[in-house]
Amino acid sequence: MTMLLDVDRVTRTFGSVRAVDGASFSVDEHSITGLIGPNGAGKSTLFGTIAGSLRPNSGRILFSGRRIDRRSAHRVARLGVVRTYQAARVLTRMSVLDNLLLATTRHPGERLTTLATRPRAARAHERQTLERAHEHLALVGLDSHADAYAGTLSGGQRKLLDLARVLMLEPSLVLLDEPMAGVAPALRVQLLDHILALRRDRGITFLIVEHDLDFVMQAADTVVVMNEGRVLVVGAPAEVRTNPDVIDAYLGKAH
Amino acid sequence: MSVLTSGGFWAFVGVVAGIYTILALGLQVQFGFAGLLNFGQVAFMAIGAYTMAILVVKEGWSTWLAAPLGIAAAAAGGLLLGLPTLRLRADYFAIVTIAFSEIIRYVATNETALTGGSQGTIALGSIGTATQYNGQWSRFQSHVQHSLGLSSSDATMLVLVWATAIVLLTVTWLALRTPWGRVLRAIRDDEDAAESLGKNVFAYKLQALALGAALAGVAGLFYAWEFSFFSPDDFQPLLTFFAWMILLLGGLGRVWAVPVGALVFGFIFAGTRFLDFVPFSWFASDERAYLRLIIIGLIIVVLVMVRPQGLLGNRREMVLE
Repeated sequence: MTMLLDVDRVTRTFGSVRAVDGASFSVDEHSITGLIGPNGAGKSTLFGTIAGSLRPNSGRILFSGRRIDRRSAHRVARLGVVRTYQAARVLTRMSVLDNLLLATTRHPGERLTTLATRPRAARAHERQTLERAHEHLALVGLDSHADAYAGTLSGGQRKLLDLARVLMLEPSLVLLDEPMAGVAPALRVQLLDHILALRRDRGITFLIVEHDLDFVMQAADTVVVMNEGRVLVVGAPAEVRTNPDVIDAYLGKAH
Repeated sequence: MSVLTSGGFWAFVGVVAGIYTILALGLQVQFGFAGLLNFGQVAFMAIGAYTMAILVVKEGWSTWLAAPLGIAAAAAGGLLLGLPTLRLRADYFAIVTIAFSEIIRYVATNETALTGGSQGTIALGSIGTATQYNGQWSRFQSHVQHSLGLSSSDATMLVLVWATAIVLLTVTWLALRTPWGRVLRAIRDDEDAAESLGKNVFAYKLQALALGAALAGVAGLFYAWEFSFFSPDDFQPLLTFFAWMILLLGGLGRVWAVPVGALVFGFIFAGTRFLDFVPFSWFASDERAYLRLIIIGLIIVVLVMVRPQGLLGNRREMVLE
């Protein structure tokens, strides 16, 4: 298997706190990798450094062999590394459809210069985006909500909208930050099915931070366990579950 | 009360409302669409007016070259302000904009050789020369007056200001309906989310700031032409807050709410001039000037209580989280 993401001795501090402290692991192409660890283990900070919203103090992050740790978040997103947030960051005062229409790159209509010089190309891209937006709305079952404000959706529906928006960008690596948090049980199954289907049908690679261990064990091929900013163990779900260090650091406290 | 029935007076009120429309439209682009809290809008108006006047008087430029350069200078002022500050958090950015507008006003007051200092544009030329920056404009205005068969120069100015305002409103309205405008609204809603969708948030904010500043530059030009004279005192922060009042009156995120807000504000502001009956007549005229501001403030407070979205705003959008 080829390595898609390589996190290499990444450190990120906030003042005197070493939120991520020399963390290293890699993510294989087409895999689903779970990232777990107790609160404060540095998972969210690490997510931020991969997505480009936080710059590591030291270490390197490579995506498809290219360094991404010095790129700003929007450029990382354009490379195909797209993240979601714990609480789905949908644009509440815009319609559900508008939320999806934003999820496109190289839209000539989004730049004032090309909007003026190539209005036809802008209209064509917009038509195409609209078509894809409706497809993706249907995919997550939100087609009847297209014209509603995204702010009127429930927490679970927002997660689905967020997922649809991410998929519109045709990412190769999706970073999901606690996709199951605050999602009703019925939607959980749906969300898990979506993730598995997307990996199977579109070959998307997932890196998932999640507290719901049952979900991680069900979905992930590989589990990375973090504690106090460091990577404690990397392994298959079954190995990780029985690893004494992990039980000590994480499961031990939880149960 | 004869002034109430004077066409000239109401034409003047209309001209000022038109100038405020253009000024506040800039704020609408910046705050209503891109979420930028700009409390220094008047600075860009000053840059536009001063650039035009200085080029005409000191450099002998044609008004038709100096005016677009004034607008460009205002936009460049927006870029200059935005480049180092737009990465700041919204509230810090707001503080910087107030400081920026006061810096511009103080520079205009103290750089006497360039701006004429506190005496204003009268002192722009060398001593003993008549300094007029609006000769060409006045000729153009009387030409328009005769071609359209208008009765007065006030009426002509009213037509010119509002024709410009309507063109700018229409262009802005169309621009904001494009995918470009959609990205601005996304940034207003949640800039981190927009960034993670691959949008260069900084570049969009910079564009919104510069375009809003350019609009303020246009307002500055008309302000200069309408009054034939100006000084740094004309660009007090109060003017920025008038523009904000117009925005709140009209409603946020709606282009056509701006002229509505400006007209309502203009008529309230002008109307309070006639509060010379009991109990208002108990106050001296200079005291009444402050009373007017208090009354306008009260009207805004009441409006915010009963109609927080403004006259044309969308209340549903305000409560969504």
